Amino acid sequence: MAKTVKKGSTAVLVGTKKGAFLFHSPDRGRWSRIGPYFEGTPVYHVMLDPRDGRTAYAGATSEHWGPTVHRARIGGDFARAKEAPKFPEGANLAVTRIWHIEPGHPDEDGTLYVGVEPAGLFRSDDRGDHWRSFDALNLHPSRGGWRPGNGGLCLHSVLVDPRDARHLLVGISAVGAWETRDAGATWTPENRGVRADFLPEKYPETGQCVHKLAWDAAADGSVFQQNHCGMYYRGAGGGRWTEVSAGLPSTFGFPIAAHPHRRKTAYIVPLVGDFNRVPPKGQLAVWRTGNAGRTWRRLTRGLPGPGAYMGVLREGLAVDRGDPVGVYAGTNTGELYGSRDEGESWRTIAAHLPPILSVSAGEVR
Amino acid sequence: MSQARGSADELMRSGVLVRVPHALREYTNGQDEVLLEALDVASLLRSLDATFPGIRDRVVDETGQPRRYVNVFVNEDLVRGDFEAARLHPGDVVHILPSVAGG
Repeated sequence: MAKTVKKGSTAVLVGTKKGAFLFHSPDRGRWSRIGPYFEGTPVYHVMLDPRDGRTAYAGATSEHWGPTVHRARIGGDFARAKEAPKFPEGANLAVTRIWHIEPGHPDEDGTLYVGVEPAGLFRSDDRGDHWRSFDALNLHPSRGGWRPGNGGLCLHSVLVDPRDARHLLVGISAVGAWETRDAGATWTPENRGVRADFLPEKYPETGQCVHKLAWDAAADGSVFQQNHCGMYYRGAGGGRWTEVSAGLPSTFGFPIAAHPHRRKTAYIVPLVGDFNRVPPKGQLAVWRTGNAGRTWRRLTRGLPGPGAYMGVLREGLAVDRGDPVGVYAGTNTGELYGSRDEGESWRTIAAHLPPILSVSAGEVR
Repeated sequence: MSQARGSADELMRSGVLVRVPHALREYTNGQDEVLLEALDVASLLRSLDATFPGIRDRVVDETGQPRRYVNVFVNEDLVRGDFEAARLHPGDVVHILPSVAGG
């Protein structure tokens, strides 16, 4: 299947319930497809490493044979990494699914992080061949009280501070956000100000259902959070989160894609609620803020509706690093939409794919 | 010891024949059968992994539990539970098969 993808192209990598696909374009208008890769196998995340612009990583999770990590030169065939992440012996935990692959700090070539189910964080320093468990988090004394949400007990967000490779922020569904400033030796829950409507105590230390985290482009530690119970923003100084749901049609949604260049700017896809995970009023809409959530703007031109009742899953929204930035949304009904004008207008890149689990984008170098 | 496609005589004399499912042949360089010596299924999987690194992880997870949708048969008998207790004898045929699951 190996094909050449030209340097300078934009690549959109799509993980689905039945394999992965690569779309590439020289102008973000005319798209070519390669794939499916991993035919028949769920791929919860596949991404292009922005540090070299040519290595792709995928986490495949066979329902029969378990999870595996793979890498490829963009456009080429994927090769299985030597090992998959594993919990340490005696932990009585087994990795069942790879949710997210995150490139390490730009100064740490070959370093990767993965977030898995049941909730766990692992690091590789050799491009995915061998993995180390962050035991201080994975075996945290509070773990006995961690309870899975509807999506499972998954660690799905891994943010690496571009200013400091030792500073990580991760998100675990129905457990909350956790932060380390010493490369994983110690972790603290960072959920102050985040509501948990589904618990008797509305503002507990942990137990919040974080759905996705994304750094603000300001690169000063500011961060967006889509939660089960609202949109939140935490400023550069850390500390409490501020709810920024006002102006949105609901407090519920899954993905966030932060603008890569413009501070305080991010995209989300609100859904009606946890009881009805479809777009409000049957209109698929991406919402954008340019002021850290003080106000939101609804973007629908070219997106389906009225009469559209699909969803965009946790990893289903992405941006490239172009100028103007490209935004991509994949639905759980198998449509991939793209915008090359910062979300103002959208076109269908692909339809009739399997349900889309993840979308990521980048420039091929 | 591993050997591809042992003859019937060799099999009777010395080993256990493992039938490798299609999905795992990327680990065995395409071999669909492997001949090994082992006293039980657990040690058979360790021997298999020593020759073809990584293959055991596809059959059992890191706690040693069989994966939920993988079945191991010794001859025609499904091995339930403890692989250590599943004794093997020369001439046995071990089948590693995906169960009927998925969609």
